Amino acid sequence: MDFLGEGLRRAVALLLSGDVEVYGIALLTLKIGLIATVFACGLGIPVGFVLATKPFWGRRAALTVVNTALAFPTVVVGLLLYGLLSRRGPLGGVGWLYTWQAIVVGDVALAFPIAAALAAAAVQGVDPRIRRTAETLGAGRWRTAWTVAREARFALAAVITTAFGHVVAEIGSAMTVGGNIRGQTRTLTTAVALYTSQGDFGLALALGLILLLLALLVNVALQALQGRGHA
Amino acid sequence: MLELVAVRHRYDGRVVLDIERFAVSPGSGIAIVGPNGSGKSTLLRLLALLERPSEGEVRLDGIVVAGAGPRRRITLVEQRPVLLRGTVRDNLEFGLQVRGIGRTEVNRRVEGVAARLGITPLLHRRRHELSDGEVQRVAVARALAVEPDVLLLDEPASSADRAAAQTLYRALAEERARRPFAVCLASHQLEDAYRWADDVRALAEGRLSPVTPENLFRVDLPVSGSGGDLKHVCVGTIEIAATTDKTGPAILAVPPTDIFVSREPLASSARNVFRGRVTRLTHQRPGTVHVTADVGVELVAVVTEEAARDLGLTPGGPVVFSFKASAVRVF
Repeated sequence: MDFLGEGLRRAVALLLSGDVEVYGIALLTLKIGLIATVFACGLGIPVGFVLATKPFWGRRAALTVVNTALAFPTVVVGLLLYGLLSRRGPLGGVGWLYTWQAIVVGDVALAFPIAAALAAAAVQGVDPRIRRTAETLGAGRWRTAWTVAREARFALAAVITTAFGHVVAEIGSAMTVGGNIRGQTRTLTTAVALYTSQGDFGLALALGLILLLLALLVNVALQALQGRGHA
Repeated sequence: MLELVAVRHRYDGRVVLDIERFAVSPGSGIAIVGPNGSGKSTLLRLLALLERPSEGEVRLDGIVVAGAGPRRRITLVEQRPVLLRGTVRDNLEFGLQVRGIGRTEVNRRVEGVAARLGITPLLHRRRHELSDGEVQRVAVARALAVEPDVLLLDEPASSADRAAAQTLYRALAEERARRPFAVCLASHQLEDAYRWADDVRALAEGRLSPVTPENLFRVDLPVSGSGGDLKHVCVGTIEIAATTDKTGPAILAVPPTDIFVSREPLASSARNVFRGRVTRLTHQRPGTVHVTADVGVELVAVVTEEAARDLGLTPGGPVVFSFKASAVRVF
């Protein structure tokens, strides 16, 4: 148990000392997490809306695909993306392999089905009379969607936090397509894995604490936003 | 003119509405009556352009319509309306804002309709601070605020007590006097229907019934009765006793559940006792039988299956219908 206590003390000391490497990793993780969440939710939430509200041929199958994609192993996504981005792959010319952009793409691929499936569930949970009321009062498609979204705001906020949490916590894809390059593609999760394997438990724990702190901050920020609204 | 033409609507393959033609003329007042589950709400949702009919067309002024544009001329108040997020004022402003109406006009309309519906004190409240009856009144006000050409009301008094319902109907009448528009109201209560009826249409199992709703008679009430409010009114070849202080043109309604059915006249206080013959026995709901008899006019009574069996009722057989003068509703 001593090494746990020692690790924790080291973690606090590192956090307080403002270690450049630790904070650099944290900032890169935050950047990747926010960008990936914006893209994943920006695409996934509208898709979830359509899946929940528009009857079309194959809708049930599309929902099944999206729900199945929730359980897609992150390392497999990383592997597929690696195949696409590697020099011999169809997107090799882009030159994104082992860059933070590649990690963003992998994270978007992972978080998109989460955003779509949870948004569909959130919208399906809204009383259908809300939609009909907006429509019968003359609202067009976008205003109606906005009215429904306002009713589902708590569930949709949960979609965003879940997507962000998934993005910052995943390691398989980030390791495979990012390469865990110091100062370039080293994220909190890949760094934790590396320093743990190197026996630097204090540094790994410090990074783990920052990861928890990030998730906490995003949740608090979203809850504060929700708290501004009333029924 | 808003019309449904050759409409057949299905849910999960089951036909829930089958209507050759249903028209709402400008400025008309139409009541659709029928039991729960007869298709009234579906009919209103189709008229409101909130659902597309599985087959057939919805026409507005002769043009086939769908979608948000024409929908702005028609507004539906659902049976159990919901308020959108925000205050009552926000709800009243919603339909005006989506039409891009200016702030001054929005305020004028919202405050006007709130005053007429008696909801001004509620304007700052949120939905969880309102009773069901208040929500219904706000929903009607919200619909009136957008000044639709056709207002569709689904059981508008279902959440209101009688006094609140009277207030609602009075406000609607005043609103129509101020600005003519068509009202199409669905109700399972004949009183509601005849409060509006330029035209009453019966709906049963998704089809418009060719017969008028049961036991309704247009009459001319005499100026003075023989004893107080008790009046005797000729209907067909019989004379119905009714207690009412009204005079002139009116509608008499005899609720089928208020008619006692027997084989022989009973010693009772009922002022209306008519002998006749059973013309039809129908089972519209499990456990009950609708007994149609020719007693000089056609009347319908509802009895339990057990009672029908005990009385030995058969088409063509003798029957006596009795009901009190106070059971006769006058509109």
